[in-house]
Amino acid sequence: MGVSHQSVAHPLRLSLCEIEYLSKKQVLTIHLKLFLTDVNEAIVFDPYSKELAFCQPNESSKANELLLDYLNRFFYVKVNGKKVDLKIKSKKLGGDGENTALWVYFEFGHAPPLKSVEIKNAVFTDLFFDQNNIVYIHANGTSKSLMLNKKTAVHELRF
Amino acid sequence: MDSSNVVSLNQLNFQTKIMLKSNSNYLILLSMILLLIGCKDKPAATDSESETEEELVQRALEIHKRILTLDTHADTPLRMIEPGFDMAERHDPNETGSKVDYPRMKEGDLDAIFFAAFVAQDIRDDEGNTRAKALCLQMIDSIISSAEKNSDIVGLALNPDDAYALEKEGKRAIYIGIENGYPIGNDLSNVKAYFDKGVRYITLVHSSNNDLADSATDENGAEHGGISEFGSQVVSEMNRLGIMVDVSHGNDSVFYDAIALSKAPIIASHSNARAVTDHRRNMTDDMLQLMAENGGVVQLTMLADYLREAPPNAARDSAMAALRANMKPISEMTDEERATIRKSFQELNTKFPNPPATVAHVADHIDHIVKVAGIDHVGIGCDFDGGGGIEGVFDATEVMNITIALVKRGYTEAEIEKIWGGNLIRVFKEVQAVAEQLQAGESS
Repeated sequence: MGVSHQSVAHPLRLSLCEIEYLSKKQVLTIHLKLFLTDVNEAIVFDPYSKELAFCQPNESSKANELLLDYLNRFFYVKVNGKKVDLKIKSKKLGGDGENTALWVYFEFGHAPPLKSVEIKNAVFTDLFFDQNNIVYIHANGTSKSLMLNKKTAVHELRF
Repeated sequence: MDSSNVVSLNQLNFQTKIMLKSNSNYLILLSMILLLIGCKDKPAATDSESETEEELVQRALEIHKRILTLDTHADTPLRMIEPGFDMAERHDPNETGSKVDYPRMKEGDLDAIFFAAFVAQDIRDDEGNTRAKALCLQMIDSIISSAEKNSDIVGLALNPDDAYALEKEGKRAIYIGIENGYPIGNDLSNVKAYFDKGVRYITLVHSSNNDLADSATDENGAEHGGISEFGSQVVSEMNRLGIMVDVSHGNDSVFYDAIALSKAPIIASHSNARAVTDHRRNMTDDMLQLMAENGGVVQLTMLADYLREAPPNAARDSAMAALRANMKPISEMTDEERATIRKSFQELNTKFPNPPATVAHVADHIDHIVKVAGIDHVGIGCDFDGGGGIEGVFDATEVMNITIALVKRGYTEAEIEKIWGGNLIRVFKEVQAVAEQLQAGESS
């Protein structure tokens, strides 16, 4: 009561993941929106590193490999119980300054039916105790949102 | 607890020591000390000259208990969509960063709150709009079902007086807001659909421009020059229905447009004073003065970067640079080596923490807004679960520290009552009165 908490203040630690199933095209897409500072801190231990130079003309030849290596440890999507193999289709940068985001796009062929999607999203929970990851899923005519974090990293949706 | 008092006491001791060495005239020294003590105590001396720190805190806590405490902005619905998260359970804020649940609201004597249904800005086409609406309705439904499930301790609030009625029953009042007008899409009838669901304020825009208005933080800059033509219709419809117009996150033109367009007073549900902390999300003195003329209210937020300029941390930065310089190439590291290095970096963060934002910064912003706009135009919107939370106001259990800080600065109970909810409730009532007039005009 009236006593100060010992912890220091943290800014909002958030990422966004959007999963969409396009049944007509038989394609499942995943968009990850990650703060670039978090990506750099996670991979090269320096939020402001220019070493990997994501989406720049001088992007490191190891950038994708190191990014996937990190994501594979903290993120997966299982469709009908089978884990999809993460292969980066494209990337882009958005926003400016501290708010610069790295968008990572994945695409997979998947013939109907889509019975279940299981997501693990614990990205950056190794860096920040208060990291929270919003997941939007659009499939079979419905949209649903979820929040995943260190405590609740995995969730399965059935259709 | 109040670091500014600690500093002045240390300064006093230091000056006393200096004077003892250099000045042998005891009477002059004594009178100077008395003068200094007098200066130090002046801001706190309201009711009693002899009030101790403990008595002051006790008085503040009693005020905090008596008055209605209303927080206009929490992103707690983002927690409600976490599988298994139960608002009736007490959560540890150090586990996942969760800042609000019903037991902690009670513990902190936080009587009323606006839970904001937030949808991240995405593609602005028919499909995007349809999805945004579905996600927004899901968020709103999660607030409603949480309130219904816990009807023994909280109640859904729709009108200004509901907060007082629920407080009398010993229940927390749960109001609903929408953060980001994106789920309105380009269909004006959605505004009424959200009103009917219980939504009582809408933040026109979030961190990127939408079809309604320009954001303060869009990388591409302004698109509509403030509020768009469709956004103007949305503001009119909000006026007609009795939904508060929230300009937080909008760029400066959005504020000026909202002041000009809205027939009812407006709010900024979570914004601070730019003269105190220079941030695009904060409000200039000119805006604060106009807010006063408009009869609206600025709800102060507990976001560290809006409360103070983050000071440089050279000692930590150089220690980290040294650690990096000695690292082997990332691609050659094993998982164990990564984990060890991660731990070393985290230890440096602990060893050289950033000086935190504190309740003293909060009081500085309130003092400034009161000076520029007046006591009737400031309130509290913590932005818990949306990045809000500082030293001393880390989660809902600690909100009484704001009251303690205000009592220390010499604010009276009547003034604190206005800040903690009275002002917002006044605006809310005026917004409803304007809606009644507009609807009466329609039917006559």
